[in-house]
Amino acid sequence: MPAVLEFQDIIKDYRALFRRRTVRALDHFTLQVEEGEIFGFLGPNGAGKTTAIHLAMAFVRPTRGHGLMFGKRFGHAATRRRVGFLAENVALYHRSAENLVRFYGALNGLSGKTLSRRTIEALDNVSLLHESNRNVAKFSRGMLQRIGLAQAIVHDPDLLILDEPTSALDPLARYAVREMLLDWRRRGKTIFLSSHLLSEVELVCDRIAVLNHGRVVRLGRPADLLESREHFEVIANGIPMDGFPGAEMQPDGRIRFLASAASQRAMIERIWTQGGEIISVSPHKRSLEDLFLELTGGPGAEPRSSSKQETP
Amino acid sequence: MKHLRLIAMIALNFVREQRWPILVLQLSVLGLAALGLLSDARDREDILLTFKQLGMYGVAFSVFFGGSAIYNERRSRRILAVLGKAITRRDYLSGLLLGVALSSALFTLMLGFTGTWILCPLGFSFFYLWHLMECVVAACVMSASVALFFSTHLNPWMSALFTGLTLGVPGALAFRFGGFWEYILPLYTLGRVFLNASYEHPGMSAGWAITVALLETVILWAAASWVFARIDVAVAVD
Repeated sequence: MPAVLEFQDIIKDYRALFRRRTVRALDHFTLQVEEGEIFGFLGPNGAGKTTAIHLAMAFVRPTRGHGLMFGKRFGHAATRRRVGFLAENVALYHRSAENLVRFYGALNGLSGKTLSRRTIEALDNVSLLHESNRNVAKFSRGMLQRIGLAQAIVHDPDLLILDEPTSALDPLARYAVREMLLDWRRRGKTIFLSSHLLSEVELVCDRIAVLNHGRVVRLGRPADLLESREHFEVIANGIPMDGFPGAEMQPDGRIRFLASAASQRAMIERIWTQGGEIISVSPHKRSLEDLFLELTGGPGAEPRSSSKQETP
Repeated sequence: MKHLRLIAMIALNFVREQRWPILVLQLSVLGLAALGLLSDARDREDILLTFKQLGMYGVAFSVFFGGSAIYNERRSRRILAVLGKAITRRDYLSGLLLGVALSSALFTLMLGFTGTWILCPLGFSFFYLWHLMECVVAACVMSASVALFFSTHLNPWMSALFTGLTLGVPGALAFRFGGFWEYILPLYTLGRVFLNASYEHPGMSAGWAITVALLETVILWAAASWVFARIDVAVAVD
């Protein structure tokens, strides 16, 4: 698969005018987003997610390194005709929803009947067609987010870059957006999605990258990332609970406990010697939240495993 | 053609966004009309003075428009949705400058028509009045381009300070020494022509000053485009 979006060893430092102190937002940041995938971009606040997105959109310039979008350097204006972008906390001009979407569509080169048709379709996609004559200044935050999405898709882009697209949406609208993203993937479009909603990312993304302190600390398919290689889940029958640390009884009477990779063999032998029966031994599956907390140093996190990267 | 269409869209959008200040300016010109209707011919010097004052306000508003255009867009983050489209920063800046020029032109047209209606019957030369309007537009556009240049990388206060210095220092030097300095950002020269005009002696032609002002506007636009293409627009302005 060709890369649609590439960040190549990018460093981004922010420095205030007349001040010596610099803040490093991205630190040797390297990432590739492939054609036709939904790529989830995770990280705590201040990890550098929005900076990376702003670099791709050429709102900011890298201090070092460079990036490519559809094979062209970031900042190539004509290439952005193939890109739809929704910023975090979207800010738009105050005019009717239809005129607003038309304005942004026209900025991307649409005109005439195509512009009119695409405007109606985009408003319909985000369920705002019935509000097309209403001024967006009177919209709720969720509606603003949806109109922001409409302006991002009006020109039928090949790549959608969405910074927190569902943060202000109710569950119903969130579901609709998720369905829309999946539909876009079916049509061969690429989606680069930054979100704090881990369940959403887990549901729709083909690959995810976790960013912390400006570096990618984990990259891969959700299933691969969530499967722990350090811990195994053992389910057995006919063994005493107190002989296995952390063991718990399941409703069906079986005993379940976690064993580290190093102690796995010894645990299995102990079950056998105690006359027990092994039902299953499988890699322990964490939730995305567990992984996120572990990688970003959240509560209960294990020591950071830093810049380990997994390839799919 | 695509570039021109984009520039025109940005310019019209700027005028639309600034419609209230523009309306206030237009209404201030109506004040001149009211003065003309309520006064008689003996007050004609007062009317001319008001006319000149309004012309100067137009230049001040152009500096305000030019200096705040980018800042407002960045502060509100509306710039992200626009620059996220297939538009170069140079085209965007050109659109803003054209927007300021259109705003100034609207004001100047209003001032010109009102001046024609009020001043010409009192004896002011029709042709010279419209020549003065050309001076006002040239001064507005040049001043706005200076302000726009500084606003690409400075906050509005610093931008206003440096705009004032950049326009004021050559003006002071032109006032003191004349000659070469009258060609550098000729706001002083244009202002002098405008302010010295009278019923009896309308004044001199400022054709060369208008030409120089417009040429220097192009240079400032090119410099502003170069700087603006190299700054981070998604961060707060220092």
